[in-house]
Amino acid sequence: MPTNLVRREFLKKVAQYGALGTAAPLALSLSSIAHASSPAATDYKAVVCVYLYGGNDYANTVVPYDSTSYNLYNNLRSSIALTRSSLASTVLTPTQPLSGGLSFALAPNLSSLMPLFAGNQMAVLLNVGTLIQPTTKAQYLAKSVALPPRLFSHNDQQKFSQSMLDPGDSGWGGRLEDLLMSNNASSTFNAISASGNALFLSGRYTNQYQVSTNGPIAINALTGTPFGNSAVSSALRSIITTPPNQILSDQLTAYASRSISAQGMLSSVIGSSTPFGTTFPANNSLASQLQIVARIIKANQSLGVKRQVFFVSLGGFDTHDHLPTLHPQLMATLGSAIAAFQTAVASMSLSPNVLTFTSSDFGRTLTSNGDGTDHGWGSHQFAFGGPITSSKFIGTPPALANNGPDDLGQGRLIPTTSNDQLAYSIGKWLGASDSDLKGALPNAQNFSTLTF
Amino acid sequence: MTEVSLPTQESAKSHDATSEHLLAKSTASLAAIALLDGCGGGGGSGGASASAPSTTPVNVSSIEAARFLSQASLAATDQDIQFVVNYGKEAWINQQATLSSSTTRVAWLNNAGYLNASNMNSDAGLNNVLWHHLIAEQNPFVQRMALFWSEFFVVSVLGLPVSWRQYMAAAYMDTLEKNALGNFRDLLQAVTLSPGMGEYLNLAGSQKSDTATNRHPDENYAREVMQLFTIGLYKLNQDGSAVMGSNGQPVPTYTQADVTGLAAAFTGWNFTGSSTNIAYAITPMTVTESVHQGSTPNSFLGTTIPAGTTGAQSLQLILETLFNHSNTAPFVSKQMIQRLVSSNPSSGYVSRVAQVFANNGKGVRGDLMAVTKAVLLDPEASQPVSSSVGKIREPMLRLVQWARTFQVGSATGAWNIGDMSDPGTRLSQSPMRSPTVFNYFSPDYMPPNTALSSQNLVAPELQIIDETSIAGYLNYLQQFVVSGISDAVPNYANELAIGGNVTQLVARLNLLLAANQLSATTMSTITNAVSTMSSSSNAAKLNQIYAAIFLVMASPDYLVIR
Repeated sequence: MPTNLVRREFLKKVAQYGALGTAAPLALSLSSIAHASSPAATDYKAVVCVYLYGGNDYANTVVPYDSTSYNLYNNLRSSIALTRSSLASTVLTPTQPLSGGLSFALAPNLSSLMPLFAGNQMAVLLNVGTLIQPTTKAQYLAKSVALPPRLFSHNDQQKFSQSMLDPGDSGWGGRLEDLLMSNNASSTFNAISASGNALFLSGRYTNQYQVSTNGPIAINALTGTPFGNSAVSSALRSIITTPPNQILSDQLTAYASRSISAQGMLSSVIGSSTPFGTTFPANNSLASQLQIVARIIKANQSLGVKRQVFFVSLGGFDTHDHLPTLHPQLMATLGSAIAAFQTAVASMSLSPNVLTFTSSDFGRTLTSNGDGTDHGWGSHQFAFGGPITSSKFIGTPPALANNGPDDLGQGRLIPTTSNDQLAYSIGKWLGASDSDLKGALPNAQNFSTLTF
Repeated sequence: MTEVSLPTQESAKSHDATSEHLLAKSTASLAAIALLDGCGGGGGSGGASASAPSTTPVNVSSIEAARFLSQASLAATDQDIQFVVNYGKEAWINQQATLSSSTTRVAWLNNAGYLNASNMNSDAGLNNVLWHHLIAEQNPFVQRMALFWSEFFVVSVLGLPVSWRQYMAAAYMDTLEKNALGNFRDLLQAVTLSPGMGEYLNLAGSQKSDTATNRHPDENYAREVMQLFTIGLYKLNQDGSAVMGSNGQPVPTYTQADVTGLAAAFTGWNFTGSSTNIAYAITPMTVTESVHQGSTPNSFLGTTIPAGTTGAQSLQLILETLFNHSNTAPFVSKQMIQRLVSSNPSSGYVSRVAQVFANNGKGVRGDLMAVTKAVLLDPEASQPVSSSVGKIREPMLRLVQWARTFQVGSATGAWNIGDMSDPGTRLSQSPMRSPTVFNYFSPDYMPPNTALSSQNLVAPELQIIDETSIAGYLNYLQQFVVSGISDAVPNYANELAIGGNVTQLVARLNLLLAANQLSATTMSTITNAVSTMSSSSNAAKLNQIYAAIFLVMASPDYLVIR
């Protein structure tokens, strides 16, 4: 256990709180950090969460393809089903075939991911979602198990999927980083969002840094002679960084101070916008976010960081309407952005060091409301790179039905794999110890271990 | 703890007498017109009558007036401060409420030439007309309330992937403005049947179940009208706190079965006419009974609509149920307080407003003029309780305040202010461009790992403030303070007239922009910096003015309304 590093990190944090004039959280004590028992890291590892805001339609993302399954799928959502012929070139052939002759195809507009699957760089997670403990349909109906809070509600399930605690006052990505931050020379770049505020990244100690897709933004008036006078520049610095001793204003000065210091550290090391052997697609907000993530990953040695978590997102997945038009566009955006990112990571020879995964509020109904689908629960997700070394499906294929054994009606799936299992395995891969992970992911002990 | 029910609410009539509040409103209008005449008569002494507030002694300082206007209006102009000082806060509200916009947004788009086939598949003109109304219409109170409702009943043009979306959004905002000070029941119905909301949350086109194709009714509006627009997720006490169940957890207000039942009752509504003709985008939706699910009873929230009820009748029963639910008064009231006055209102404040929502004193529930007054005239709005931490000014309101304070106008009439939502280069917020129906920020957002969260305090607006948006705002501010935005340019004649006296200039900005809330330290930092600048010419004086406004609007003292 790198006690000296832990102690240094602690002292630095306390110093930061002191400088910001805000009280350190009560929980922030040397003993609580010193409990972190995870070993020091020698290599670089990063986790990138790609969040699909709105609740992705699982059934048109990972589509049942064997003829029996396809016919069920087509029957259950005839007005919005993809044609079988359109799926022929995106059929997934895993290293180990699924039992029962089942097969799946990716949405046609995810075709850019096919080389990743073929190259043993991609796994499909079947029917994963928020749970407290393993839950059967009978248990759900009998209300005999603890359930995630406020199922089917967007903001609540976004919160719970990113936190896995209720109340969700911290995110699980941030809590993993709490365990690992002592590996980083500075705490500023532990957890980075290229997509605004993300609960996922806020730990009990870890603060998220929010970067723009163009990199850190300098406050122009802090340098030079704004309005023709350098006195304005120093007055501005004083005004925006001196805590006025008012709780909201002090928070604003804390953000301004972090903005200034992070920009100073980061802009000099991230280099040009196109250092990779790949072109990120234009007019693709997710690709722009992933591009800045790739640039920051590339600077990991200059920044002195060994363990990082990132957050990017794509919105528009709440496809109650216009699904046949909108969902294929979303798939194209998602697929081309991730393909470019994985290529950039490979160009840095960091594919085994960077794990990218998708998450979403929830899945949607399998049946249609005419030209869209409604809020569900379990969904299919993807993982790329990092510990993924074979093309595979993880989890259990759900029964295709309306009010069948695996759904609550309209194909709202009860997850058979928990987000906790995924998070726990990610934490293990990052190097966190079992004892630390039990504190960070208290519900994970209710589930078996998921193997990548 | 058990649920509190207020006697006043039970005794209040449910809203069924439209003529009654029409009458009440027209009476108020007459009084306000009398007041206007009085002002026009000069000095506020002429035209005084028994109903004219000018005869009532008011005791409002200019600082208090500026503070009130920072909550109730979009800016504290010299004229508005003087009005409040002379006649009082309620008189200002009464007078403002009588003022109509010079044009609807739809008519503005027509006059500006946007009704052109080339604009059919874009939102061209929408930003222009929204900023025009926020900045240039001479009824800032009505505009402020319309904007509030647009952050409550959220429709974003980003979720309108249809033709003539700018007209759909503009008509929606016109609908909010028209109903902003009417009755909540009417507003709820107007929103529900608006093409904008119909498209945004997909009530438009939702049809009855069809077992042959496994089709089910669209659930989106049914869910969100409960969660976000009327009752919320948990049973509430009238002070806005959650009712706790026997298990120590909040009591949910509805289940998935309620959503399903409500979605079925809501089926049958759709646009009027073809989507190539703009009429469909600006005309309330109508019901087609043949696709309404009425052959079986529809149940939700303890209400059962019997089989055979038409879609039109079902809508009325749905809206009555939501309107009269005991949660609706505290749910709406608390959010209005949060947006206008304070992020963390006391339970007493919420109770007082909720009580007015339940009964305006004349037996009418949902009277929004009365509710708005209850929010703005509450003692806690003018004299914050010691536990109050205030609220952060929304970024888009900072821009509008600057524009109104410094008489921004457009010589061309184009108002090319555009989309302000990019956090790195603009303001991270822009009207009717929220990323989701959950608005730019959540009313219960509590920033993790902060002194706020350790004290259980929310700070909704902080959800869009971060290392990037802070820099983006300051950089953009530095530009627009000088040259405005495109054709929308400021007029600093009043500030130039101060003649380079920096102390006077900063004092004026402190009053108009910050209701005198800048600390002595901030004042002296700004004054000292600006005093080092030349004032030898008009151009030099303008540089002083730019610098002073920039520093005031950058300061945390200004950014937080306490």
